[in-house]
Amino acid sequence: MLLEVRDLHVEFHTRDGVAKAVNGVNYSVEAGETLAVLGESGSGKSVTAQAVMGILDMPPGKIPKGEILFKGQDLLKLKEEERRKVRGAKMAMIFQDALSSLNPVLSVGEQLGEMFIVHKGMSKKDARAKAVELMDRVRIPAARERVGQYPHQFSGGMRQRIMIAMALALEPELIIADEPTTALDVTVQAQVMDLLAELQREYNMGLILITHDLGVVADVADKIAVMYAGRIVEQAPVHEIYKAPAHPYTRGLLDSIPRLDQKGQELYAIKGLPPNLLAIPPGCAFNPRCPMAQDVCRTDVPPLYEVTESPVPRASACHFWKECLHG
Amino acid sequence: MAEAILEVRDLHKHYPLTQGILFKKQVGAVKAVDGVDFDLASGETLGIVGESGCGKSTVAKMLVNLEKPTSGSIKYKGEDLTKLSPRALKAVRRNIQMVFQDPYTSLNPRMTVGDIIGEPYEIHPEVAPKGDRRRKVQDLLDVVGLNPEYINRYPHQFSGGQRQRIGIARGLALQPEIIVADEPVSALDVSVQAQVVNLLDRLQSEFALSYVFIAHDLSIVRHISDRVGVMYLGRIVEIGTDAQIYDHPTHPYTQALLSAVPVPDPEARAHRERIILTGDVPSPANVPSGCRFRTRCWKAQERCALEVPLLAVPAVFRLTDSPARHDSACHFAEEKQVVPPEDSLAHAAPLEDGPAPVEAAREAASEEGAEEEAVAIAEADEAAAEGRGAGGAGGDGSDGAGGAGEGRPEEPGGPKTL
Repeated sequence: MLLEVRDLHVEFHTRDGVAKAVNGVNYSVEAGETLAVLGESGSGKSVTAQAVMGILDMPPGKIPKGEILFKGQDLLKLKEEERRKVRGAKMAMIFQDALSSLNPVLSVGEQLGEMFIVHKGMSKKDARAKAVELMDRVRIPAARERVGQYPHQFSGGMRQRIMIAMALALEPELIIADEPTTALDVTVQAQVMDLLAELQREYNMGLILITHDLGVVADVADKIAVMYAGRIVEQAPVHEIYKAPAHPYTRGLLDSIPRLDQKGQELYAIKGLPPNLLAIPPGCAFNPRCPMAQDVCRTDVPPLYEVTESPVPRASACHFWKECLHG
Repeated sequence: MAEAILEVRDLHKHYPLTQGILFKKQVGAVKAVDGVDFDLASGETLGIVGESGCGKSTVAKMLVNLEKPTSGSIKYKGEDLTKLSPRALKAVRRNIQMVFQDPYTSLNPRMTVGDIIGEPYEIHPEVAPKGDRRRKVQDLLDVVGLNPEYINRYPHQFSGGQRQRIGIARGLALQPEIIVADEPVSALDVSVQAQVVNLLDRLQSEFALSYVFIAHDLSIVRHISDRVGVMYLGRIVEIGTDAQIYDHPTHPYTQALLSAVPVPDPEARAHRERIILTGDVPSPANVPSGCRFRTRCWKAQERCALEVPLLAVPAVFRLTDSPARHDSACHFAEEKQVVPPEDSLAHAAPLEDGPAPVEAAREAASEEGAEEEAVAIAEADEAAAEGRGAGGAGGDGSDGAGGAGEGRPEEPGGPKTL
């Protein structure tokens, strides 16, 4: 197992109280595998990823509980200096907004080369040659000429390619991509996703893809973890989840996508709003919005039930997953 | 089609690029909108889709007079907004209101909800006399599904979806006939988007509104729109009813756009052909000659660099009654089904939007010469085969499409079809 997150909790101490952003998340990724983490804003999907990368702001963030095992080693027990050797070299992150993640006053060549100077102790000249090579690899045309240019001189799609190049620089074993195509146009989105999938195959990397877009997920993921209010509510291989969701929240998300045969009708909408993390409802966090909620949902937090019907592991955190799956 | 309430003709918006500090010299122009025509019928929803930078938001701003067009006309019930006196314009503007994209920045954080929704009445006091306003605002809150008691709250006390409802209530305050909605749901969470789309739908029938709905999310646009226009680099490249555009697109850009949309169903995806465009959208300051899409088009020929294709029914489809008969600005327009209509996305929905491509072409061809028939059927077969073929690697799609395109370089507009 490349990465295993066990019972991870993250909270933020704010003036208004403790915001419980992540409340017991378990997931795992193997080499060459793509895990999609799906959720709305505030579901804890990005915070989990930041905890894995070790870039969480602490304070105000705090990890009271949990393990993050990278090839068997618990990253949370490492010292900061040791952690730094893992970050970038063994695991890397691609951020959503390339323009604000790149340094505007350094050329892209300098930013790409920095990786090699810091981690590998290369000379400036060698690092620059490496930068050109990387830009070629992510198919930026005229890499040799453009290596000295600044981020603002690149288009959105090209900037995201530079982000990918930067993440790939030290050939990490795990890549975490946080909404990598959300800021891009659809036609460019397809280019970038294809590139990412291809490079993943080539290097046999594990990929955690964080997104809110059900469509992007369907295209590339092997398995999906759906998050709601800091918990994974459903975990399944990608094909299964679209065919028959086993959690009312997943079902609601799928149903609220406009479909051809529903034109002119009212769209299905999940009622209400995502919960306030300072005051997560007792029992199942989704219960105030759930059409299937019963009394037990308001009192008992549902465990992750094993959905046994499928040969591949599949789980749902709903007391009534059977009814959901079949109805 | 019902009577057109809004007629937009040859609309341009060029932002000058200048050089020099004291003596500014114009060295070029960013052609944000470069010749846009469309009609909006009373009570209908016109969707406008396109990528960022294609000029769709600039069009929206010109419709509500937040930007002055460089040239062209916007006629509201026959009156040209670009030529009206300020006083007459003020009266007309009441009838065209806007809902903005970002509910976090489009509401003044220091004003209460009551002030925000009631502010339009300050400018148009004839709609609601002073004593009546508070009640009107509360009615509006109720209409958009917010508690009328929230009238004294501030925007930060609301969630994104609720704020967008406030923005919509403000748009409705003056009882307009047209609402221009610029990406009204794209800043919202997925589970909240559907709520707002439903609200817009309900308000349309309740208040007999006409919508210009601008968005980049193709599935939402299809859901809400009667007609759809596709914009690329300042121009509309294809326009028609939602079924014509989505099931029978004839412009290569529309086809690429549709094929690039991630389909939230892995099985539907396997049935889908993917066209992955190369490169980025060119800068609107430096628009390619001829057809502006040619730099990314797999069908581009010499003619595309020389002649600007007009937005009209392509000659090949002019005499047919297939759904492909709609305006498309391409010299080599041909039908291509990109998203299979009866895929599992629609869960065995009956195919209601006209016959399958092969049949369509056969029907169409039967009205034309015999030679044409052979070509049309061969093509349709080819297109159908492509459509069925698994769209595995992205490159295959475009290569195949290129092959299909080559078959008819001198066909379109030829005398045979006319």
